[in-house]
Amino acid sequence: MSEWRVPLTDIAMPEQDVRAVLDCLESGWLTMGPRTQAFELALAGYVGTPHAVTVSSGTAALHLALLAAGIGAGDEVIVPSFTFVASAATARYLGAEPVLCDVRSPLDFNIDPDDVARRITPRTRAVVAVHFCGYAADVADLRALCDEHELVLIEDCAQAIGARIDDAGRHVGTVGDLGAFSFFSKKQLCVGEGGMVTSADEQRAARVRLLRSHALTSSTWDRHLGHDPAYDVIDVGFNYRLDEPRAALGLSRLQRLDDDITARRAIARAYRERLATVPGIELPFSDEAVERSSHFAFPVLLADRATRDRFRAELKDSGIQTTWYPALHSFTEYRQLTPPDGLPQATEVADRHCALPLSSTMDEAAVETVVEVVRTVLA
Amino acid sequence: MATVDISPQLPLFDLRLAPQDLEAVAETLRSGWLTLGPRTAELERAFAEHLGARHAIALSSCTAALHLAYLAAGVGPGDEVIVPAFTFVATAAAALYCGATPVFAEISSRARPSIDPADVERRITPRTKAVCAVHYAGYAAPVDRLRELCDAHGIALIEDVAHAPSATLAGRKLGTWGLAGAFSFFSNKVLSVGEGGLLCTDSDEVAELSRSRRSHAMTSGTWDRHVGRTDTYDVVGLGYNYRLDEPRAALLLSRLQRLEAEIARRRELTVRYRELLAHVDGIIVPFDDDEVESSSCYVIAIMLEQDGRQSEVSSRLRERGIQTSIFYPAIHRFSAYRERFPDISLPVTELASRTELTLPFYPHMTHEDQDRVVTALAEAIAP
Repeated sequence: MSEWRVPLTDIAMPEQDVRAVLDCLESGWLTMGPRTQAFELALAGYVGTPHAVTVSSGTAALHLALLAAGIGAGDEVIVPSFTFVASAATARYLGAEPVLCDVRSPLDFNIDPDDVARRITPRTRAVVAVHFCGYAADVADLRALCDEHELVLIEDCAQAIGARIDDAGRHVGTVGDLGAFSFFSKKQLCVGEGGMVTSADEQRAARVRLLRSHALTSSTWDRHLGHDPAYDVIDVGFNYRLDEPRAALGLSRLQRLDDDITARRAIARAYRERLATVPGIELPFSDEAVERSSHFAFPVLLADRATRDRFRAELKDSGIQTTWYPALHSFTEYRQLTPPDGLPQATEVADRHCALPLSSTMDEAAVETVVEVVRTVLA
Repeated sequence: MATVDISPQLPLFDLRLAPQDLEAVAETLRSGWLTLGPRTAELERAFAEHLGARHAIALSSCTAALHLAYLAAGVGPGDEVIVPAFTFVATAAAALYCGATPVFAEISSRARPSIDPADVERRITPRTKAVCAVHYAGYAAPVDRLRELCDAHGIALIEDVAHAPSATLAGRKLGTWGLAGAFSFFSNKVLSVGEGGLLCTDSDEVAELSRSRRSHAMTSGTWDRHVGRTDTYDVVGLGYNYRLDEPRAALLLSRLQRLEAEIARRRELTVRYRELLAHVDGIIVPFDDDEVESSSCYVIAIMLEQDGRQSEVSSRLRERGIQTSIFYPAIHRFSAYRERFPDISLPVTELASRTELTLPFYPHMTHEDQDRVVTALAEAIAP
């Protein structure tokens, strides 16, 4: 294993988290039990949504959110190209067609509502608003657009738990018809593999709950509690359950999530202060957006792709781990979905950005180390 | 009867983990690396070695393993997959995920509730791409005969090994007879971690496809990038998130060390259960005594000889604090499947489903508890 001077991400795992998992393991009840219920209740309270249903991953969350929204074969789902592949792949699971749209600009690289409007056809049924890197997409505009065209709005909150959409402090995942979250190991709230669907609609939440466990009318837990052993299967469901140890871990970590996000934001601010005057670096998003972001990643923009690639290589040589996110239309599997205009903004941001190390465990000294290397590299 | 009412409940299953299992998970959590890392790689190596298979791919569930196994067998829209209906719904649902049609085959008998090769043969059509054999309760389905049949017709044999880790047929591990085997690590299973699964195969192509599809068909993983092996990735197919995470891989690795010992204990208890049950009138105890030695002894399944008494006997046992379950309601009788596939008749499967009861069973079960279950069962059945 390479020893990075500053790794891209890092996870703090205090002993109370470990203890929560061990308590669960000692109980001997590992699936769909009291800890999952408690985690879901706490998550609903945290996000400010009536219903939170845990699932096995962010991908599972998107899949079930689209299913619960009634998306099916032949439908079109508008998805920004600058996102993780699951945002588009999940529409394909249902036989629907992802329609790639552009982002606003490299400096505001979330889904562009104007571009969404241009791509609506009679077959469009849903829009997936991705809150990329923890920065809230313009869901107010998208909500109005979706209402006007009777489209379902799905919020892809995989990178954005705890992010706010407005100054009133409303969370991402509360404006769309359904929200999909991820608890993957690199995420702000991580348990390994895991996810969640949020919805204000009781019926849609119930459908997600049903389909995450093979559309069985009763669970192992219900039967353990003495309910009748007979059950029916009333739809084609999946095994998208989260298990109890992960629910226990998530519940324990949720207590510190706001503190962790505050710590991430402090790092983002520290980077921005120091990098604002470095020639050759541009910082996306406004200071106001930074305050509302939950800071999954800290992206910066370089002049062009070649400069970015050189920049990353030199940071790597100095022990600084970075990453970047390819646009979907650059993948072999999605190339043929590129529209004639070539999605210029998504292409540009994918080419130019680089995500610097960011975690809740970083301190200002680590920021200083990274910034020093950045300054040297760009000098 | 008052003494019976206040006795502790005997659950269907009861999982007890060892201190070293907990330590393995704690150590993984403290490492801070939670997904697709060294523990998953080690689990896959150890499990493949344990099975005598070339490849083992850790997955999020057995459902995921079945889905990938069918995809690897080339199952797609318009194809047919022959499956038993006397199994958990995932065996058939995974065929629907591929856009294929599950074609339900009969079991041999209530005394041998495994898929019937003769019935499988009758249901093969030009659209059949795969046959899935379920090793019910941990006892080998006739995968030797099914293998010959599938080879003769050029179709894939998939094994649903959810119940049967480490079980064998003719000395060969179940899961290694076909193109791919799908294992479950669900919480009530012989080797449980909560949610989890695994696909084993001897085929390099099947392994490569499964590895790729379990993580969105990305050409590199987070771990590769962390260790500096690659810089970026391509997406080269339609994939899923079917990954197992590191804490579960660590728990499995730890539990795998004791798997044989636990199964040995399960076999002893199963032999004793079968001796006791042999004296109960009005039941069929599936499989032969001499098959216990090669079984993983997942559950104790019995069939009530008389039809129409399942719910009543189950209720009577529940009143005595004894939990039972039905392994399994027939898939083709579920609402979701009747809508899609009406008019399917599988009389043997249906009778088995209407008369089966699964009794409490776990490795630390005491002889007294076994006696209590069997006595209560005999009383519950008695007119």
